[in-house]
Amino acid sequence: MSLQLAHHVHAAVNRWGVIGRRHFLRNLAAGAASLGLVDRLALQADELRRQGKACILLWMQGGPSQFETWDPKPGHGNGGETKAIDTSVPGIQVAENLPRLAAVAHELAIIRSMSTREGNHQRASFLMHTAHVPVASVQYPAMGSVVWKELGSPDCQLPSFVRVGRRFPNSSDGGLLGTDYNAFLVPQAGRLPENVQLTTDQARFQRRLALIDRLEAATTGAEAELVASHRGLYRKASQMVLSPQMKAFDLGQEPDAVRQRYGESEFAAGCLLARRLVEAGVVFVEVGLGNWDTHDNNFERSRDLTAQLDQPFACLLQDLRERGLLDRTLVVWMGEFGRTPRINPRAGRDHYPRAFSAVLAGSGIRGGQVIGRTSAGGEDVVDRPVSAQDLFRTVYAALGIDADKENMSSIGRPIKIVEGGAVVQEALA
Amino acid sequence: MRCVSSWCRGLGAIVLVVGLENVAPAQSDRGPTSAGGASSSDAAADLKAPAAVAEERAGSLDRPAVAASAAGAGDAAEVAARVDELLGEEVFAQLGPGETLAPRASDEVFLRRAALDLIGENPTPAEVIAFLLDETVDKRARASEQFLAEPRFGHNWARYWRDVIFYRRADDRSLITAPATEEFLAEKFNQNIGWDLIAREFIVATGNIRENGQTAVIAAQDGMTEDVTAEISRIFMGVQIQCAQCHDHPTDRWKREQFHELAAFFPRVAVRPERLGDIRTFAVVSDDRLFPRRRMKNDGRFGQPEHYMPDLNDPESRGKLMTPTFFVTGQQLRLGATDLERRGTLADWMTSRQNPWFAKAFVNRVWGELMGEGFYEPLDDLGPDRPCSAPRTLEYLAGQFEAHQYDIKWLYRTVMSTQAYQRESRPRRTPEQTPFLANCSQRLRSDQIFSCLMNALGIPREMLGGRDPGNRFRNNGPRFLFSRVFGYDPSDPRQEVTGTIPQALLLMNSPIINRMVQARGRGGELGRLLAAEPENEGAVVELYLRCLARRPSQAELEVCLEHIRTCSSRGEAFEDLLWSLVNRTEFLYRP
Repeated sequence: MSLQLAHHVHAAVNRWGVIGRRHFLRNLAAGAASLGLVDRLALQADELRRQGKACILLWMQGGPSQFETWDPKPGHGNGGETKAIDTSVPGIQVAENLPRLAAVAHELAIIRSMSTREGNHQRASFLMHTAHVPVASVQYPAMGSVVWKELGSPDCQLPSFVRVGRRFPNSSDGGLLGTDYNAFLVPQAGRLPENVQLTTDQARFQRRLALIDRLEAATTGAEAELVASHRGLYRKASQMVLSPQMKAFDLGQEPDAVRQRYGESEFAAGCLLARRLVEAGVVFVEVGLGNWDTHDNNFERSRDLTAQLDQPFACLLQDLRERGLLDRTLVVWMGEFGRTPRINPRAGRDHYPRAFSAVLAGSGIRGGQVIGRTSAGGEDVVDRPVSAQDLFRTVYAALGIDADKENMSSIGRPIKIVEGGAVVQEALA
Repeated sequence: MRCVSSWCRGLGAIVLVVGLENVAPAQSDRGPTSAGGASSSDAAADLKAPAAVAEERAGSLDRPAVAASAAGAGDAAEVAARVDELLGEEVFAQLGPGETLAPRASDEVFLRRAALDLIGENPTPAEVIAFLLDETVDKRARASEQFLAEPRFGHNWARYWRDVIFYRRADDRSLITAPATEEFLAEKFNQNIGWDLIAREFIVATGNIRENGQTAVIAAQDGMTEDVTAEISRIFMGVQIQCAQCHDHPTDRWKREQFHELAAFFPRVAVRPERLGDIRTFAVVSDDRLFPRRRMKNDGRFGQPEHYMPDLNDPESRGKLMTPTFFVTGQQLRLGATDLERRGTLADWMTSRQNPWFAKAFVNRVWGELMGEGFYEPLDDLGPDRPCSAPRTLEYLAGQFEAHQYDIKWLYRTVMSTQAYQRESRPRRTPEQTPFLANCSQRLRSDQIFSCLMNALGIPREMLGGRDPGNRFRNNGPRFLFSRVFGYDPSDPRQEVTGTIPQALLLMNSPIINRMVQARGRGGELGRLLAAEPENEGAVVELYLRCLARRPSQAELEVCLEHIRTCSSRGEAFEDLLWSLVNRTEFLYRP
């Protein structure tokens, strides 16, 4: 019977310490092989958890213009009015819109040769969050969920993948890893997430929890396992709510000087929150900055957006460095694609996945370099194209995560974290 | 001392409860036995234009709705008996050491299970009491029949299939179709249109995706040929032939070429931007123009005259021309056929008796949801090379479903009449254990939990709206927002679906819930109960009925009464109690 059913079921303790069932290997032979692999990786993962690695993704929703940020073309008609400025690294220039980031260029690995085929927001956003194009049959998990699963620490009482900002359409979530790896949402940095404040005093809250326990103990039924799992979840949720680590969400705890240093904008608050969360043990924080879809009025809008970006991003790197966190925290800057070299009649730039930029800094990254090159007019990648898969492999390599590790889809199909691609070795320290 | 007397006192409370039902306006729209009878704001009565369009379509098809209950309950009972017999022969004949069949579930368990399974929410206290007091032998069949006749039946399962489709969406924008899909399906289910006719409408759908809910499968995949193909096969046949999209699968008989031959029914489908008044939307169209255009972006805006299987060694080349061929039967359509000809033909072939997977996929779904375990697991992964835990039983039941013209209500009626369905629940079995010895607790879906919560807290549906009357396309009412926290893909293996921290936080700390738990103030419902029922025991029973659709056990009652004694006020004690009841495990699971 069991051979015929060919399911392999085993109980497991997930990161909340809850007993749950993880299963589904279509046949026992495959099961044994995969378990061996899982065991090996589990050992590795423990090592990584001890190292306390974390990742902050600065997500530029809408597709930022590479010309107005990391790959200016001042001498060329395609470059428009944007000028280039020197940086802290001789020979590297960035757009004049990023003066503070220019001053920390020695921390940055600027990839100017990103290239994908996805020119629509939805598909491209999914690709740049998962390293896969969306398909109906497999729910690929977001980068944050993968990092949570691989690096999340059981000691952290906060959810290990936090998204800061209002909207993350087509950005995936826990997917095939399960809903318990979904991002924890903080719509606005500085305000507490929903439903984390008790509605009664703590004594009464505890009394209510105890009442649940007593009622469930008094219930005769066969659902002991479900009750145990539910109870574990409530224990974790109430521990979180009552945890001193919850203070991480409260930016009021920061001195004014620090807040001013990051800047006024909501994105600045998001960057500061990201640093606080990483300090508290959260392993993945995604901070969104939106409206980069500059089909019209590209130059003015890009200036406005880079003004929101420059100071907080630069400050985040310096702050992490000063606190000794940058060595164990990877910072990734990217959007779903870049923008056209051609400037359209509305002074806008349209979607352009063929050649655009992304930036890595911090843990495991060799800063102070430019990787890849675009043609004089920015139309093509002329040196060292980097695919979405290459970029994800590099990110995972910097974090010490094996991108070839397989997770099971809902029908028991093994799915690699990243399919294809190769690590951009020169990006790594 | 109280074993018997508590029953009586419970019943005392019950009479009062039935009285309360009639005075509490928030409760008046619920259930067949309540006096109100006005339909709720999210019931089918709201249907306007999209439904009318859908109706026209249905009318144009060659077969009318399956005559309601024409076959009658007698027939369902006979088939159910045969199903139990077959299970006895092929599954229970050799039980493992210590294994036994679970006994028949109590009336309380049956009624809550049946209500959640059919109308997607708990029975009302009045329904529970009326059912317990009913001494007729056929009361279970009659209760099922009443639930099947309610508009909430259609909505419950419409939401289920809406989730089946949209949890696999390629693009979040396609969620604009979801409300219309729910309306479309609710109406079909309530009219008891045959599943074959419903499936056909999804396969041949065209039109604006906000207004035509049946465009859902195509809209959710942005019209992308391969993804639409994969989903049509998965949803309506339970065959995951897309595994063969890139390579021949070692353990599957379907070949890569067969997947692409199936895809050749869909190359001319396109999804284009369109405006509906001021609203931006999309339309599913047939693109029968014969000059192939290059797809500039990877989207489904343009159709292609024919489908080509990519050459894996040369991805840039055009690939191999595919003739539309249905892999199950080998039936073939000529090249050059129009889009609707292709899709209409595939719908014919897919829903014909020559294709066993069509009936089996639906039966497996329904059985799996009602029993907690399908014949095939996962519920959407069937096929000749997959293990089936009771092949003869499924064969028989699927054959009967087909013979009853894919009559959906008949199938529910039949499964729910089996002894198998009516057994007590046990924890999910391990692979070594015999299947179907018991029913199995299922985690409730978001919509079910939401409805139960509204009922338990006495939140009137009007208060929540559902849709903005000014904009019938809006999709961000409380029910939808709740689903962002509690929703899951119903095709995922159910034992993988566990609770999450944000869910626990919402139930524990949501300001709205806590306002409704107040015994005083504007929430009102608990205060009203306590005023109407001065006896603590009666009020406890009533809360149990509202939240869990059962009476408390003697031990639970004692815990509750003790809690009340230790609290400084009666109101405070009952607030704690109500909070605890909606936060406990049982509230989130179907028994």
